[in-house]
Amino acid sequence: MKPHHHPHKHSHDTFSIDQCAFQSGLSHVNPGFKAAFSIITLIFVLSADKLLISLLVFAAMYYLTVVKGGLSAHRYLSYLTIPMLFAFAAVLAVALGFSTKALGEYRIHLFFFYIYTSRAELWYGLCLLCRVFSAVSCLYFLSLSTPVNEIICVLQDCHLPTLITELMNMIYRFIFILMEVQQKMSVSARSRLGYSGTRTSLRTFGNIGANLFILSMKKANRYYDALLSRCYDGQLNFLTEEKPFDKKLLIYALLYFIALAVIWILT
Amino acid sequence: MNRRSKNFVALCSIAALTIAAAPAASAMHIMEGFLQPTYCIMWGALCIPFIVLGFMKINKTLASDRKLIVMLSMAGAFAFILSALKIPSFTGSCSHMTGTGLCAILFGPCATAIIGAIVLLFQALLLAHGGVTTLGANIFSMAIAGPIVSWLIYKALKATKIPRYITVFLAAALGDLFTYCVTAFELAIAHPAADGGFAASLTEFMGIFAVTQIPLAVVEGFITVVVVMGLESFAASDLISLGFLKKGMKKEALHE
Repeated sequence: MKPHHHPHKHSHDTFSIDQCAFQSGLSHVNPGFKAAFSIITLIFVLSADKLLISLLVFAAMYYLTVVKGGLSAHRYLSYLTIPMLFAFAAVLAVALGFSTKALGEYRIHLFFFYIYTSRAELWYGLCLLCRVFSAVSCLYFLSLSTPVNEIICVLQDCHLPTLITELMNMIYRFIFILMEVQQKMSVSARSRLGYSGTRTSLRTFGNIGANLFILSMKKANRYYDALLSRCYDGQLNFLTEEKPFDKKLLIYALLYFIALAVIWILT
Repeated sequence: MNRRSKNFVALCSIAALTIAAAPAASAMHIMEGFLQPTYCIMWGALCIPFIVLGFMKINKTLASDRKLIVMLSMAGAFAFILSALKIPSFTGSCSHMTGTGLCAILFGPCATAIIGAIVLLFQALLLAHGGVTTLGANIFSMAIAGPIVSWLIYKALKATKIPRYITVFLAAALGDLFTYCVTAFELAIAHPAADGGFAASLTEFMGIFAVTQIPLAVVEGFITVVVVMGLESFAASDLISLGFLKKGMKKEALHE
Protein backbone atom coordinates (compact mmCIF):
# COMPACT_ATOMS: atom_id res chain seq x y z
CA MET A 1 0.00 0.00 0.00
CA LYS A 2 1.13 3.49 -0.71
CA PRO A 3 2.00 5.40 2.44
CA HIS A 4 -0.12 8.43 3.16
CA HIS A 5 2.02 11.47 2.94
CA HIS A 6 -0.65 13.94 3.96
CA PRO A 7 -2.73 12.11 6.49
CA HIS A 8 -4.08 15.31 8.03
CA LYS A 9 -4.61 17.39 4.99
CA HIS A 10 -8.16 18.09 5.97
CA SER A 11 -7.33 19.09 9.49
CA HIS A 12 -4.93 21.67 8.13
CA ASP A 13 -7.68 22.86 5.82
CA THR A 14 -9.96 23.27 8.79
CA PHE A 15 -7.56 25.52 10.53
CA SER A 16 -6.46 27.37 7.45
CA ILE A 17 -9.88 28.60 6.25
CA ASP A 18 -10.52 29.74 9.79
CA GLN A 19 -7.16 31.49 9.99
CA CYS A 20 -7.73 33.23 6.67
CA ALA A 21 -11.02 34.54 8.01
CA PHE A 22 -9.26 36.15 10.97
CA GLN A 23 -6.47 37.61 8.84
CA SER A 24 -8.68 38.84 6.02
CA GLY A 25 -8.54 42.48 5.03
CA LEU A 26 -12.34 42.46 5.19
CA SER A 27 -12.49 41.27 8.78
CA HIS A 28 -13.32 44.78 10.02
CA VAL A 29 -16.51 44.91 7.94
CA ASN A 30 -19.78 44.30 9.74
CA PRO A 31 -20.37 40.50 9.68
CA GLY A 32 -24.13 40.82 9.25
CA PHE A 33 -23.53 42.89 6.13
CA LYS A 34 -21.10 40.33 4.71
CA ALA A 35 -23.47 37.45 5.41
CA ALA A 36 -26.41 39.27 3.83
CA PHE A 37 -24.30 40.29 0.83
CA SER A 38 -23.15 36.74 0.21
CA ILE A 39 -26.62 35.20 0.65
CA ILE A 40 -28.34 37.76 -1.60
CA THR A 41 -25.70 37.23 -4.29
CA LEU A 42 -26.23 33.48 -3.98
CA ILE A 43 -29.96 33.94 -4.47
CA PHE A 44 -29.21 36.04 -7.57
CA VAL A 45 -26.91 33.38 -9.02
CA LEU A 46 -29.32 30.54 -8.40
CA SER A 47 -32.52 32.21 -9.53
CA ALA A 48 -31.04 33.92 -12.58
CA ASP A 49 -29.15 30.78 -13.66
CA LYS A 50 -27.47 32.68 -16.51
CA LEU A 51 -23.92 32.07 -17.64
CA LEU A 52 -23.06 35.78 -17.76
CA ILE A 53 -24.31 36.47 -14.24
CA SER A 54 -22.42 33.45 -12.90
CA LEU A 55 -19.19 34.67 -14.47
CA LEU A 56 -19.69 38.25 -13.29
CA VAL A 57 -20.42 37.14 -9.74
CA PHE A 58 -17.37 34.90 -9.74
CA ALA A 59 -15.21 37.81 -10.91
CA ALA A 60 -16.66 40.10 -8.25
CA MET A 61 -16.18 37.55 -5.49
CA TYR A 62 -12.64 36.86 -6.64
CA TYR A 63 -11.94 40.62 -6.56
CA LEU A 64 -13.41 40.99 -3.07
CA THR A 65 -11.67 37.96 -1.57
CA VAL A 66 -8.27 38.25 -3.22
CA VAL A 67 -7.79 41.96 -3.91
CA LYS A 68 -9.76 43.45 -1.02
CA GLY A 69 -9.35 40.57 1.41
CA GLY A 70 -5.64 40.24 0.72
CA LEU A 71 -5.67 36.47 0.28
CA SER A 72 -3.00 35.18 -2.09
CA ALA A 73 -4.42 34.20 -5.46
CA HIS A 74 -2.52 30.93 -5.33
CA ARG A 75 -4.13 30.00 -2.04
CA TYR A 76 -7.57 31.01 -3.23
CA LEU A 77 -7.28 28.86 -6.34
CA SER A 78 -5.98 25.93 -4.34
CA TYR A 79 -9.07 26.21 -2.11
CA LEU A 80 -11.18 26.14 -5.25
CA THR A 81 -9.48 23.09 -6.78
CA ILE A 82 -11.04 20.38 -4.64
CA PRO A 83 -14.65 21.60 -4.82
CA MET A 84 -14.16 22.12 -8.54
CA LEU A 85 -13.05 18.53 -9.08
CA PHE A 86 -16.19 17.38 -7.30
CA ALA A 87 -18.29 19.81 -9.29
CA PHE A 88 -16.78 18.76 -12.57
CA ALA A 89 -17.44 15.09 -11.90
CA ALA A 90 -20.99 15.77 -10.74
CA VAL A 91 -21.67 17.91 -13.83
CA LEU A 92 -20.36 15.09 -16.04
CA ALA A 93 -22.85 12.77 -14.41
CA VAL A 94 -25.62 15.27 -15.15
CA ALA A 95 -24.60 15.98 -18.75
CA LEU A 96 -23.87 12.41 -19.83
CA GLY A 97 -26.51 9.74 -20.12
CA PHE A 98 -26.28 5.97 -20.15
CA SER A 99 -28.59 3.86 -22.25
CA THR A 100 -28.78 0.54 -24.07
CA LYS A 101 -30.35 2.36 -27.02
CA ALA A 102 -28.61 4.83 -29.30
CA LEU A 103 -29.85 8.19 -28.03
CA GLY A 104 -28.55 11.74 -28.16
CA GLU A 105 -26.45 13.65 -30.66
CA TYR A 106 -23.05 12.37 -29.60
CA ARG A 107 -22.49 8.89 -28.32
CA ILE A 108 -19.84 6.28 -27.61
CA HIS A 109 -20.80 2.64 -27.91
CA LEU A 110 -19.35 0.51 -25.16
CA PHE A 111 -19.88 -3.27 -25.01
CA PHE A 112 -23.63 -3.31 -24.45
CA PHE A 113 -24.57 0.30 -23.71
CA TYR A 114 -24.10 3.83 -24.96
CA ILE A 115 -22.78 6.89 -23.23
CA TYR A 116 -24.55 9.71 -24.95
CA THR A 117 -25.03 13.44 -24.74
CA SER A 118 -26.39 16.29 -26.80
CA ARG A 119 -25.44 19.88 -27.47
CA ALA A 120 -28.25 21.10 -25.21
CA GLU A 121 -27.12 18.86 -22.39
CA LEU A 122 -23.51 19.93 -22.74
CA TRP A 123 -24.62 23.58 -22.61
CA TYR A 124 -26.74 22.82 -19.55
CA GLY A 125 -23.69 21.19 -17.96
CA LEU A 126 -21.47 24.16 -18.72
CA CYS A 127 -24.00 26.61 -17.24
CA LEU A 128 -24.35 24.39 -14.19
CA LEU A 129 -20.59 24.21 -13.74
CA CYS A 130 -20.29 28.00 -13.88
CA ARG A 131 -23.21 28.38 -11.50
CA VAL A 132 -21.53 26.05 -9.01
CA PHE A 133 -18.27 27.96 -9.47
CA SER A 134 -19.80 31.29 -8.66
CA ALA A 135 -21.93 29.90 -5.83
CA VAL A 136 -18.83 28.36 -4.23
CA SER A 137 -17.04 31.69 -4.61
CA CYS A 138 -19.92 33.38 -2.73
CA LEU A 139 -19.61 30.81 0.05
CA TYR A 140 -15.84 31.33 0.15
CA PHE A 141 -16.29 35.09 0.28
CA LEU A 142 -18.24 34.61 3.50
CA SER A 143 -16.11 31.91 5.08
CA LEU A 144 -12.77 33.47 4.14
CA SER A 145 -13.68 36.89 5.51
CA THR A 146 -15.88 36.11 8.51
CA PRO A 147 -14.82 33.87 11.41
CA VAL A 148 -17.41 31.33 12.51
CA ASN A 149 -17.95 32.94 15.91
CA GLU A 150 -19.08 36.14 14.16
CA ILE A 151 -21.41 34.16 11.92
CA ILE A 152 -22.91 32.62 15.06
CA CYS A 153 -23.43 36.15 16.44
CA VAL A 154 -25.25 37.08 13.24
CA LEU A 155 -27.49 34.03 13.62
CA GLN A 156 -28.12 35.08 17.22
CA ASP A 157 -29.21 38.50 15.99
CA CYS A 158 -31.61 36.70 13.63
CA HIS A 159 -33.25 35.29 16.79
CA LEU A 160 -32.14 31.72 16.36
CA PRO A 161 -32.95 29.98 19.70
CA THR A 162 -30.21 30.32 22.31
CA LEU A 163 -29.95 26.54 22.62
CA ILE A 164 -28.86 26.26 18.99
CA THR A 165 -26.35 29.10 19.07
CA GLU A 166 -25.06 27.74 22.37
CA LEU A 167 -24.51 24.33 20.80
CA MET A 168 -22.85 25.97 17.81
CA ASN A 169 -20.48 28.00 19.96
CA MET A 170 -19.46 24.96 21.95
CA ILE A 171 -19.12 22.63 18.96
CA TYR A 172 -16.98 25.21 17.18
CA ARG A 173 -14.61 25.40 20.13
CA PHE A 174 -14.54 21.67 20.79
CA ILE A 175 -13.68 20.89 17.16
CA PHE A 176 -10.24 22.43 17.59
CA ILE A 177 -9.62 20.66 20.88
CA LEU A 178 -10.58 17.25 19.52
CA MET A 179 -8.67 17.81 16.29
CA GLU A 180 -5.47 18.29 18.26
CA VAL A 181 -6.08 15.17 20.34
CA GLN A 182 -6.88 13.17 17.23
CA GLN A 183 -3.65 14.26 15.58
CA LYS A 184 -1.62 13.18 18.60
CA MET A 185 -3.36 9.81 18.68
CA SER A 186 -2.78 9.32 15.00
CA VAL A 187 0.92 10.17 15.30
CA SER A 188 1.36 7.71 18.14
CA ALA A 189 -0.54 5.03 16.22
CA ARG A 190 1.68 5.64 13.23
CA SER A 191 4.80 5.29 15.33
CA ARG A 192 3.55 1.86 16.38
CA LEU A 193 2.94 0.80 12.76
CA GLY A 194 -0.79 1.26 13.19
CA TYR A 195 -1.28 2.09 9.53
CA SER A 196 0.59 -0.78 7.91
CA GLY A 197 -1.88 -2.51 5.67
CA THR A 198 -5.53 -1.95 4.98
CA ARG A 199 -7.01 -4.08 7.74
CA THR A 200 -4.75 -2.63 10.41
CA SER A 201 -5.41 0.90 9.17
CA LEU A 202 -9.14 0.46 9.37
CA ARG A 203 -8.89 -1.05 12.84
CA THR A 204 -6.62 1.78 13.98
CA PHE A 205 -9.03 4.32 12.52
CA GLY A 206 -11.90 2.72 14.43
CA ASN A 207 -9.95 2.45 17.67
CA ILE A 208 -8.92 6.07 17.48
CA GLY A 209 -12.57 6.89 16.93
CA ALA A 210 -13.61 4.97 20.05
CA ASN A 211 -10.80 6.45 22.12
CA LEU A 212 -11.56 9.94 20.91
CA PHE A 213 -15.20 9.52 21.83
CA ILE A 214 -14.40 8.46 25.39
CA LEU A 215 -11.89 11.23 25.75
CA SER A 216 -14.33 13.79 24.42
CA MET A 217 -16.94 12.70 26.96
CA LYS A 218 -14.38 12.95 29.77
CA LYS A 219 -13.43 16.40 28.61
CA ALA A 220 -17.10 17.36 28.37
CA ASN A 221 -17.47 16.40 32.01
CA ARG A 222 -14.54 18.58 33.04
CA TYR A 223 -15.67 21.53 30.92
CA TYR A 224 -19.10 21.35 32.45
CA ASP A 225 -17.58 21.59 35.93
CA ALA A 226 -15.49 24.52 34.77
CA LEU A 227 -18.55 26.22 33.31
CA LEU A 228 -20.58 25.64 36.49
CA SER A 229 -17.83 27.08 38.65
CA ARG A 230 -18.07 30.21 36.53
CA CYS A 231 -21.83 30.47 37.09
CA TYR A 232 -22.97 29.03 33.78
CA ASP A 233 -26.74 29.20 33.58
CA GLY A 234 -27.47 28.14 30.01
CA GLN A 235 -26.04 31.15 28.25
CA LEU A 236 -22.49 31.91 27.30
CA ASN A 237 -21.78 35.59 26.88
CA PHE A 238 -18.91 36.54 24.65
CA LEU A 239 -17.45 39.98 24.32
CA THR A 240 -17.89 40.80 20.68
CA GLU A 241 -16.02 43.50 18.92
CA GLU A 242 -18.36 46.19 17.62
CA LYS A 243 -17.98 46.41 13.86
CA PRO A 244 -19.73 49.53 12.66
CA PHE A 245 -21.96 49.35 9.66
CA ASP A 246 -20.53 51.32 6.74
CA LYS A 247 -23.18 53.15 4.69
CA LYS A 248 -20.83 53.61 1.76
CA LEU A 249 -20.53 49.83 1.38
CA LEU A 250 -24.29 49.51 1.44
CA ILE A 251 -24.54 51.92 -1.50
CA TYR A 252 -21.89 49.95 -3.41
CA ALA A 253 -23.72 46.71 -2.70
CA LEU A 254 -27.03 48.18 -3.85
CA LEU A 255 -25.45 49.45 -7.08
CA TYR A 256 -23.97 46.00 -7.62
CA PHE A 257 -27.32 44.29 -7.12
CA ILE A 258 -29.06 46.76 -9.44
CA ALA A 259 -26.42 46.09 -12.09
CA LEU A 260 -26.94 42.35 -11.72
CA ALA A 261 -30.71 42.77 -11.95
CA VAL A 262 -30.37 44.88 -15.11
CA ILE A 263 -28.12 42.28 -16.73
CA TRP A 264 -30.56 39.56 -15.71
CA ILE A 265 -33.45 41.37 -17.35
CA LEU A 266 -31.52 42.31 -20.50
CA THR A 267 -30.02 38.88 -21.24
CA MET B 1 -11.53 1.99 -35.60
CA ASN B 2 -10.91 -1.73 -35.33
CA ARG B 3 -12.43 -3.89 -32.65
CA ARG B 4 -9.41 -3.94 -30.44
CA SER B 5 -8.88 -0.21 -30.28
CA LYS B 6 -12.59 0.25 -29.76
CA ASN B 7 -12.49 -2.00 -26.74
CA PHE B 8 -9.48 -0.10 -25.49
CA VAL B 9 -11.29 3.24 -25.78
CA ALA B 10 -14.31 1.72 -24.09
CA LEU B 11 -12.28 0.45 -21.15
CA CYS B 12 -10.48 3.76 -20.81
CA SER B 13 -13.68 5.74 -20.76
CA ILE B 14 -15.24 3.43 -18.20
CA ALA B 15 -12.17 3.80 -16.00
CA ALA B 16 -12.22 7.57 -16.47
CA LEU B 17 -15.91 7.78 -15.67
CA THR B 18 -15.64 5.71 -12.50
CA ILE B 19 -12.68 7.75 -11.35
CA ALA B 20 -14.52 10.94 -12.18
CA ALA B 21 -17.65 9.74 -10.45
CA ALA B 22 -15.83 8.52 -7.36
CA PRO B 23 -15.01 11.88 -5.84
CA ALA B 24 -18.39 13.29 -6.76
CA ALA B 25 -20.14 10.43 -5.12
CA SER B 26 -17.99 10.06 -2.07
CA ALA B 27 -18.36 13.72 -1.30
CA MET B 28 -21.96 12.80 -0.43
CA HIS B 29 -22.69 16.44 0.18
CA ILE B 30 -24.56 18.23 -2.56
CA MET B 31 -22.43 21.18 -3.57
CA GLU B 32 -23.22 24.83 -3.19
CA GLY B 33 -25.11 26.07 -6.24
CA PHE B 34 -26.07 22.63 -7.49
CA LEU B 35 -29.77 22.87 -6.71
CA GLN B 36 -32.34 25.31 -8.02
CA PRO B 37 -33.95 27.66 -5.47
CA THR B 38 -37.23 25.70 -5.51
CA TYR B 39 -35.48 22.54 -4.36
CA CYS B 40 -33.36 24.40 -1.83
CA ILE B 41 -36.52 25.70 -0.22
CA MET B 42 -38.40 22.42 -0.56
CA TRP B 43 -35.77 20.29 1.17
CA GLY B 44 -35.23 22.97 3.77
CA ALA B 45 -38.94 23.02 4.55
CA LEU B 46 -39.01 19.22 4.79
CA CYS B 47 -36.31 19.37 7.46
CA ILE B 48 -38.13 21.84 9.68
CA PRO B 49 -40.51 19.40 11.45
CA PHE B 50 -37.64 17.06 12.30
CA ILE B 51 -35.45 19.88 13.53
CA VAL B 52 -38.27 21.27 15.66
CA LEU B 53 -38.96 17.81 17.09
CA GLY B 54 -35.27 17.35 17.90
CA PHE B 55 -35.15 20.82 19.43
CA MET B 56 -38.10 20.11 21.70
CA LYS B 57 -36.69 16.75 22.72
CA ILE B 58 -33.29 18.22 23.58
CA ASN B 59 -34.89 21.11 25.44
CA LYS B 60 -36.91 18.69 27.55
CA THR B 61 -33.90 16.54 28.42
CA LEU B 62 -31.83 19.64 29.17
CA ALA B 63 -34.37 20.82 31.73
CA SER B 64 -33.64 17.74 33.81
CA ASP B 65 -29.92 17.51 33.09
CA ARG B 66 -27.98 20.60 32.11
CA LYS B 67 -24.79 18.70 31.57
CA LEU B 68 -26.19 17.20 28.43
CA ILE B 69 -25.49 20.35 26.42
CA VAL B 70 -21.74 19.94 26.86
CA MET B 71 -21.98 16.25 25.99
CA LEU B 72 -24.03 16.96 22.89
CA SER B 73 -21.56 19.63 21.80
CA MET B 74 -18.70 17.21 22.25
CA ALA B 75 -20.63 14.64 20.25
CA GLY B 76 -21.10 17.22 17.50
CA ALA B 77 -17.40 18.04 17.47
CA PHE B 78 -16.66 14.32 17.42
CA ALA B 79 -18.96 13.79 14.45
CA PHE B 80 -17.30 16.69 12.65
CA ILE B 81 -13.81 15.27 13.17
CA LEU B 82 -14.86 11.76 12.21
CA SER B 83 -16.40 12.95 8.97
CA ALA B 84 -13.54 15.30 8.17
CA LEU B 85 -10.94 12.53 8.39
CA LYS B 86 -10.01 10.53 5.37
CA ILE B 87 -10.65 6.85 5.73
CA PRO B 88 -7.35 5.07 5.20
CA SER B 89 -6.98 2.30 2.64
CA PHE B 90 -8.67 3.85 -0.35
CA THR B 91 -5.64 5.28 -2.02
CA GLY B 92 -6.34 8.22 -4.21
CA SER B 93 -9.97 8.64 -3.39
CA CYS B 94 -11.22 11.01 -0.74
CA SER B 95 -13.57 8.80 1.16
CA HIS B 96 -15.09 10.09 4.35
CA MET B 97 -17.35 8.57 6.93
CA THR B 98 -20.74 10.06 7.44
CA GLY B 99 -20.64 9.10 11.11
CA THR B 100 -24.40 9.43 11.12
CA GLY B 101 -25.03 5.77 11.90
CA LEU B 102 -22.81 5.94 14.95
CA CYS B 103 -24.47 9.15 16.14
CA ALA B 104 -27.94 7.69 15.66
CA ILE B 105 -27.01 4.55 17.60
CA LEU B 106 -25.43 6.55 20.43
CA PHE B 107 -27.80 9.50 20.71
CA GLY B 108 -30.99 8.64 18.88
CA PRO B 109 -32.36 10.29 15.75
CA CYS B 110 -33.77 13.46 17.35
CA ALA B 111 -30.49 14.70 18.76
CA THR B 112 -28.71 13.60 15.60
CA ALA B 113 -30.94 15.84 13.49
CA ILE B 114 -29.93 18.96 15.45
CA ILE B 115 -26.27 18.08 15.85
CA GLY B 116 -26.08 16.95 12.23
CA ALA B 117 -27.54 20.22 11.01
CA ILE B 118 -24.95 22.23 12.92
CA VAL B 119 -22.10 19.96 11.83
CA LEU B 120 -23.18 20.24 8.20
CA LEU B 121 -23.22 24.04 8.44
CA PHE B 122 -19.71 23.99 9.86
CA GLN B 123 -18.56 21.61 7.15
CA ALA B 124 -19.87 24.02 4.55
CA LEU B 125 -18.16 27.01 6.17
CA LEU B 126 -14.88 25.45 7.30
CA LEU B 127 -14.25 22.73 4.74
CA ALA B 128 -16.44 23.82 1.80
CA HIS B 129 -18.14 20.40 1.89
CA GLY B 130 -21.70 21.12 0.87
CA GLY B 131 -23.07 24.61 0.97
CA VAL B 132 -25.44 27.10 2.54
CA THR B 133 -28.20 26.87 -0.06
CA THR B 134 -27.95 23.08 -0.30
CA LEU B 135 -27.92 22.79 3.49
CA GLY B 136 -31.57 21.71 3.58
CA ALA B 137 -31.05 18.87 1.11
CA ASN B 138 -27.88 17.74 2.88
CA ILE B 139 -29.50 17.87 6.31
CA PHE B 140 -32.40 15.82 5.00
CA SER B 141 -30.24 13.09 3.50
CA MET B 142 -27.41 12.92 6.02
CA ALA B 143 -28.82 14.10 9.33
CA ILE B 144 -32.43 12.92 9.06
CA ALA B 145 -33.08 10.11 6.55
CA GLY B 146 -29.90 8.08 7.11
CA PRO B 147 -29.89 8.26 10.91
CA ILE B 148 -33.58 7.36 11.13
CA VAL B 149 -32.98 4.22 9.07
CA SER B 150 -29.89 3.33 11.12
CA TRP B 151 -31.77 3.84 14.34
CA LEU B 152 -34.80 1.83 13.21
CA ILE B 153 -32.62 -1.09 12.08
CA TYR B 154 -30.67 -0.96 15.30
CA LYS B 155 -33.85 -0.91 17.41
CA ALA B 156 -35.51 -3.65 15.41
CA LEU B 157 -32.55 -6.03 15.32
CA LYS B 158 -31.59 -5.44 18.94
CA ALA B 159 -34.74 -7.19 20.02
CA THR B 160 -33.85 -10.29 17.99
CA LYS B 161 -31.10 -12.81 18.65
CA ILE B 162 -28.82 -11.52 15.91
CA PRO B 163 -25.31 -10.87 17.31
CA ARG B 164 -24.85 -7.31 18.43
CA TYR B 165 -21.96 -6.49 16.14
CA ILE B 166 -23.89 -7.60 13.10
CA THR B 167 -26.74 -5.36 14.25
CA VAL B 168 -24.40 -2.38 14.54
CA PHE B 169 -22.79 -3.19 11.21
CA LEU B 170 -26.11 -3.43 9.39
CA ALA B 171 -27.47 -0.29 11.03
CA ALA B 172 -24.44 1.78 10.02
CA ALA B 173 -23.98 0.32 6.54
CA LEU B 174 -27.65 0.39 5.53
CA GLY B 175 -28.15 3.85 7.02
CA ASP B 176 -25.20 4.96 4.93
CA LEU B 177 -26.62 3.41 1.77
CA PHE B 178 -29.98 5.00 2.41
CA THR B 179 -28.29 8.38 2.71
CA TYR B 180 -26.83 7.87 -0.78
CA CYS B 181 -30.19 6.80 -2.17
CA VAL B 182 -31.76 9.99 -0.83
CA THR B 183 -28.89 12.05 -2.24
CA ALA B 184 -29.31 10.36 -5.62
CA PHE B 185 -33.03 11.13 -5.46
CA GLU B 186 -32.35 14.77 -4.62
CA LEU B 187 -29.89 15.10 -7.50
CA ALA B 188 -32.09 13.30 -10.02
CA ILE B 189 -35.20 15.32 -9.23
CA ALA B 190 -33.24 18.57 -9.60
CA HIS B 191 -31.49 17.54 -12.83
CA PRO B 192 -33.70 15.15 -14.79
CA ALA B 193 -32.16 13.75 -17.99
CA ALA B 194 -33.29 15.15 -21.32
CA ASP B 195 -34.19 11.66 -22.55
CA GLY B 196 -36.11 9.62 -20.04
CA GLY B 197 -36.41 12.41 -17.48
CA PHE B 198 -36.34 11.80 -13.75
CA ALA B 199 -36.36 7.99 -13.90
CA ALA B 200 -33.37 7.85 -16.23
CA SER B 201 -31.32 10.22 -14.09
CA LEU B 202 -32.28 8.42 -10.93
CA THR B 203 -31.08 5.10 -12.38
CA GLU B 204 -27.89 6.80 -13.51
CA PHE B 205 -27.10 8.43 -10.18
CA MET B 206 -28.03 5.23 -8.36
CA GLY B 207 -25.73 3.26 -10.67
CA ILE B 208 -22.80 5.59 -10.00
CA PHE B 209 -23.48 5.51 -6.27
CA ALA B 210 -23.80 1.72 -6.28
CA VAL B 211 -20.33 1.31 -7.78
CA THR B 212 -18.62 3.76 -5.47
CA GLN B 213 -20.70 3.69 -2.34
CA ILE B 214 -21.38 0.05 -1.51
CA PRO B 215 -17.72 -0.58 -0.61
CA LEU B 216 -17.70 2.65 1.39
CA ALA B 217 -20.85 1.67 3.24
CA VAL B 218 -19.23 -1.64 4.16
CA VAL B 219 -16.16 0.22 5.42
CA GLU B 220 -18.33 2.60 7.40
CA GLY B 221 -20.17 -0.35 8.94
CA PHE B 222 -16.88 -2.01 9.84
CA ILE B 223 -15.44 1.12 11.44
CA THR B 224 -18.64 1.71 13.39
CA VAL B 225 -18.41 -1.84 14.76
CA VAL B 226 -14.79 -1.26 15.79
CA VAL B 227 -15.78 1.99 17.53
CA VAL B 228 -18.66 0.33 19.39
CA MET B 229 -16.45 -2.62 20.35
CA GLY B 230 -13.82 -0.22 21.60
CA LEU B 231 -16.37 1.72 23.63
CA GLU B 232 -17.61 -1.47 25.26
CA SER B 233 -14.25 -3.03 25.95
CA PHE B 234 -12.41 -0.17 27.53
CA ALA B 235 -15.04 2.31 28.32
CA ALA B 236 -18.09 0.79 29.95
CA SER B 237 -17.04 1.80 33.46
CA ASP B 238 -15.83 5.20 32.33
CA LEU B 239 -19.02 5.92 30.50
CA ILE B 240 -21.07 4.88 33.54
CA SER B 241 -19.11 7.15 35.83
CA LEU B 242 -19.58 9.98 33.38
CA GLY B 243 -23.30 9.47 33.47
CA PHE B 244 -23.37 8.63 29.80
CA LEU B 245 -24.32 5.06 30.60
CA LYS B 246 -26.55 4.77 33.62
CA LYS B 247 -25.57 2.33 36.35
CA GLY B 248 -27.10 -1.10 36.17
CA MET B 249 -27.97 -0.62 32.58
CA LYS B 250 -27.25 -3.38 30.18
CA LYS B 251 -24.39 -2.90 27.80
CA GLU B 252 -26.81 -3.22 24.94
CA ALA B 253 -28.48 0.04 25.80
CA LEU B 254 -25.48 2.18 25.03
CA HIS B 255 -27.45 5.00 23.55
CA GLU B 256 -29.98 5.47 26.31
